[in-house]
Formats: sequence, structure tokens, C-alpha cells
Amino acid sequence: MKTKKATAFDYVLVLIFVLICFIMIIPIYKVLIDSLDLKTAYGMKLLPEQFGLAGYKSVFTNPTLYRPFLVSCLTTVAGTFCGLAISTLGAYVLIQWKMPGRNFFANLLLFTMIFNGGMIPTYLVMRSLHLTNTLWVVILLPAINVYNLVLMRNFFEGIPGSLFESAEMDGCSPMRIFFQIVLPLSKAALTAIGLMFAVSYWNDYTNYKLYITNENLYNFQMKLRSVIMGSDLPTAVGGATENTVKNAAVIVAILPFMIIYPFCQQYFIQGVNIGAVKE
Amino acid sequence: MSKKGKGSAVAVNAAGENKRPLLVSLHYYRGFYVMFLPVLIFAVVFHYLPMVGIRYAFCTYKGIKAPEFIGLGNFEKMISMPGFWSAFGNTLVISIVKLLLNTFMAVILSILLNELRNLKFKKFAQTVVYLPHFMSWVVTASVFTLILSPTNAGLVNSILIKLGILDEGVYFLGSQDWWRPMYYVINVWKDTGWGTIIFMATLSGISPELYEAASMDGAGRWNCMRYITLPALANTIITVLILNLAKIMNLFESVFVLQNDAVVKQADVLQTYIYTQTFNSGALPDYGYTTAVGLASSIVGCILVLVCNKASYKVRGRGIV
Repeated sequence: MKTKKATAFDYVLVLIFVLICFIMIIPIYKVLIDSLDLKTAYGMKLLPEQFGLAGYKSVFTNPTLYRPFLVSCLTTVAGTFCGLAISTLGAYVLIQWKMPGRNFFANLLLFTMIFNGGMIPTYLVMRSLHLTNTLWVVILLPAINVYNLVLMRNFFEGIPGSLFESAEMDGCSPMRIFFQIVLPLSKAALTAIGLMFAVSYWNDYTNYKLYITNENLYNFQMKLRSVIMGSDLPTAVGGATENTVKNAAVIVAILPFMIIYPFCQQYFIQGVNIGAVKE
Repeated sequence: MSKKGKGSAVAVNAAGENKRPLLVSLHYYRGFYVMFLPVLIFAVVFHYLPMVGIRYAFCTYKGIKAPEFIGLGNFEKMISMPGFWSAFGNTLVISIVKLLLNTFMAVILSILLNELRNLKFKKFAQTVVYLPHFMSWVVTASVFTLILSPTNAGLVNSILIKLGILDEGVYFLGSQDWWRPMYYVINVWKDTGWGTIIFMATLSGISPELYEAASMDGAGRWNCMRYITLPALANTIITVLILNLAKIMNLFESVFVLQNDAVVKQADVLQTYIYTQTFNSGALPDYGYTTAVGLASSIVGCILVLVCNKASYKVRGRGIV
């Protein structure tokens, strides 16, 4: 577009976006301020009335709260690794067009996107496999995500076939091609899809709600839920009020991704775009 | 995925160079079969075994008692339950209103973003509007429970009282009149920004010359938006609607974390109905009945996917997966 003089429309537009940004930020900002305020805050304030970190101290000195935080960290790391392993292996096999049974395997996976057993049969199977009340179920079950697998396959398709052929001529085994050619060439996709997995593992609530009843295995989202609903108030230390601790817990739940998000934004966007606007 | 296109590519290959006998071929690809094994195990354990469990829909299966075949009894019970029909209706209404509203807002927002001249500010605005997408539903529900709370600590109520609009706090998320509007607002807040990504990608593909030519012919900004930007988005809008229409029966977590006993009639959707009937009903869980409800939901979902897939082939020449 040509650079023209800014019109009234441009100013109004900027004003609209300032307003939109405020609407997006205010709920988060309110929680952030309240988490740093030792008094129960009323209304909207720019800064905490009585500043103090006691809310966060309460979260991290209370084993019923920091233990779920560690569970979240563990399952996010392990889950992201499993998810990437399954997606890359599946995607690599699905680009072997001449392999006997390749179409069968593809349809086997795609069918699960169209039809599923449903919540209760899945629960009953997990229970009969003795996977309920173990962290295995919340790590392994979301690892097979056919949507992410297809994204990965779309990305692998962009790798020039001549690379595979010449590697094969040199006597490379499929496994070696996978580790030495495919994976190193796919760093962007691995980052994008890995981040998608990480977010969904960190934010997972449904699977814990369904399969975990042992409080020692709760992740932070589960714990946060019971703290907010008031069924399980943690003891506040150092003059923090109940409200301060609740708000601090919310901030702790979003902090990891708020920190990495500005640096990884392009990868998240890329993840959406490889899936949606391919072709 | 373009299944048709790939199918023909395979056929060409098979007719061309790949004339190896099956056994040789199997031997040649043996490494790949080993690599596919973990994927296969995961798919079978987490997707196909549960499908076998659908047989309980035709059984009575209460608590720890062994399942017993009863034919279509569970489905008869389902049809006679008012709770099922209200959950079914709510699923459709809530998901469709949410889908249309979110898409509409995302389109408006992308068109406005596209008009921003200052690129730094545009980047900043994009970063901010994407932000809520990364918050889990539990966090989102927590944040809004806190700021919509009926006590003085609730931001919205305290402002409305101060302005004299309200005399006393309203429990927005516990009110039968307010729950759905609030649910839609929260969804718009969370997902509108993220929804713009796909539209922005389309808009970045419009040639700037088009705008130049139009303004040469005397078209103002409004006309450019109306006759260039919006039509360019038409196909993407349809694609987004089709892709999401296929998923409307999956509605669970967002409703589950925002609903409460006071608004069950307005807020219960099929998946939450299944959950509460099984785990929170107070009685012995009837897995047979809730499996039947789940099966009904899966079938509707499956039909929607197939219809959307067909529509997708018509509109953009490829399926939705």
C-alpha cells in the first residue's frame, strides 16, 4: 500500500486496538496485581495497595501446591517427548508411498479422527489396563494425536525425495535416514509441533479429571481448580490473604508459557499455518 | 489430506518402477514396519480398544457387576430422558452460536488488523490478542470466576455498583439468564485473536497492486475493504466454518469448568451430561447407559465430519483431514 497521510480513520483504528489490547490484558493484569497485594483488593487498581510476595511464597512452600507443579513439569516434558516420537515415526512411515500397507496404516489413523469410542469406553479400557491413577495414562494417551501427526507428515513431504534416494544408494538404513536426515531437516516443525504438545500437556485438565483420583498425582491445573472452587484452600503464609494465594496460583499456572511465548510466537503461528493453509 | 491425489500417485508408482514382488517389498521395508509398531500400538490401545467397548451400549453395566446384554434398552431410556434432549439441544446451540460468533469476530479483527499502518504496533497488537489462547480453560475459568464474582472483590460487579448501574452484585456465572452470554463473551475473549491467524495468512497473500489499482480508480479505504479484503476472505471463512462444524460434538472442557449446579439447564452439553451421569450422579454408575449416549454423540459427530468433508471437497477440492 502507498504511504499516505494518516487520516482520522487511522487514529480511530489505533484507538480501537488500544481498547482491544486493554480488554485482553485487564483480566490477566487484575489477577497479577491481586496476587501481589496482601490486602483483598476491591475494584481495579493500577498497583497493589500493600505489595508483598507472600502469595507466591504460600504457593511454593506448600507441598500440596508445589507437588502438582512438579507433576505438571514432569508430564509436560515426558509427554512432549512421547508425542513428538509418535508423530515423527508415524509421519515418516506415511510418506513411504510405495510401502505395502501404507494406505491401510494411513486410513487406520485417519479413521480415529472421524469416529471414536467415546469418553466412557475409553475410561473403562484405561481402568481395565490398570492405567487409571498412574501418570502413564496422562502422558501416553494424548501422545497419539493424529492431527499433529498429519501436520508433521505435511512437513516431511516438503523434504526433497532425492535426499532419501541418495542416502539409500549409500546404504543408509531407514532408521539412520530418519535420525540423520529427516529429523535434522525438520527442526522448525519439531519446534512448532513440540510447542503445541507442550501447551496441551501443561493445560491438560480433562484427562486428569477422568483418570486420576489420587490427589498426589494431580497436576497444577487440577489443583488450581480445587483451590479456586474453594474446596481445598491452601494455608496462606506471611500475611497473605486467601484471595492473594488464589490469584498467585493462577499466575503460576500461566507463567511458563507467558515467559516463552514472545520468543516462540512465530513457531506457534507456523504450526497453525502448516495445518490450515497448506496448498 | 488430499487422499485422492496421493492415491493416484501411488498407482503411478506401482505401475512404473515398483515391480518388486510383495515378499521382496515387505523385506525391503522391514525397518519401516518396526518403526510403525509403536504408532500402531498406541492407535490400537488408545483408539481401537475403546471402540470395542462400544458394545456396552447394548448392555446393562452397573458399577462392578458384569455387563449383561439388554439390546436397545439404553437407547429407549435415553430417548425418554429430558436431561438427554436438553443436553443435545444445548450442544448444538452453544457450539453453533460460539462458532459463528468467534468466526465473525475473528474476521472483523483481521480486517482491522490488516488496516493498521504502523507495523510495530500491529505486531504488538497481534501478540496481545493471541495471548489468551495459551491459557488453559481451568485458568480462564479461574480468572473469570474471580473477576465476575458477586462479592466486592469481583471487578465487574464492583465497577457496575460504583457506577450505580447495579444495586447489588450479580452472580453472572450462576445466573440462568447470564450464563450463556458470559460463556460466549469468554470464548470470544479467549479465541478471537488466535482465530485471526488463518485469516491474516490469507490477507497477506493479496497483491498490494490490487489496492493500488482500486485507489487509482478512486476507491476509498471502506470500498477497498468491502470489495477486495472481504471477498478474498470468503473461501477461508467457509473453510474455517466447515472445519469447526465437524468438531461441534466434542464440546466439553470449556463448558465443564464454567458450569455449576445452578445453570445445568442452560449449560449442560452431551459430554458433560455423560460425565456427570457416570461419575457425579451419586448413584452406582451405569456405564451401559452413558456409553449409549456417547455412541449417539459419536454417530452425530461422524455424520457431521462426513458431511463437512464432502462440503470441503466441493469448496476447496480437498477433504478436511
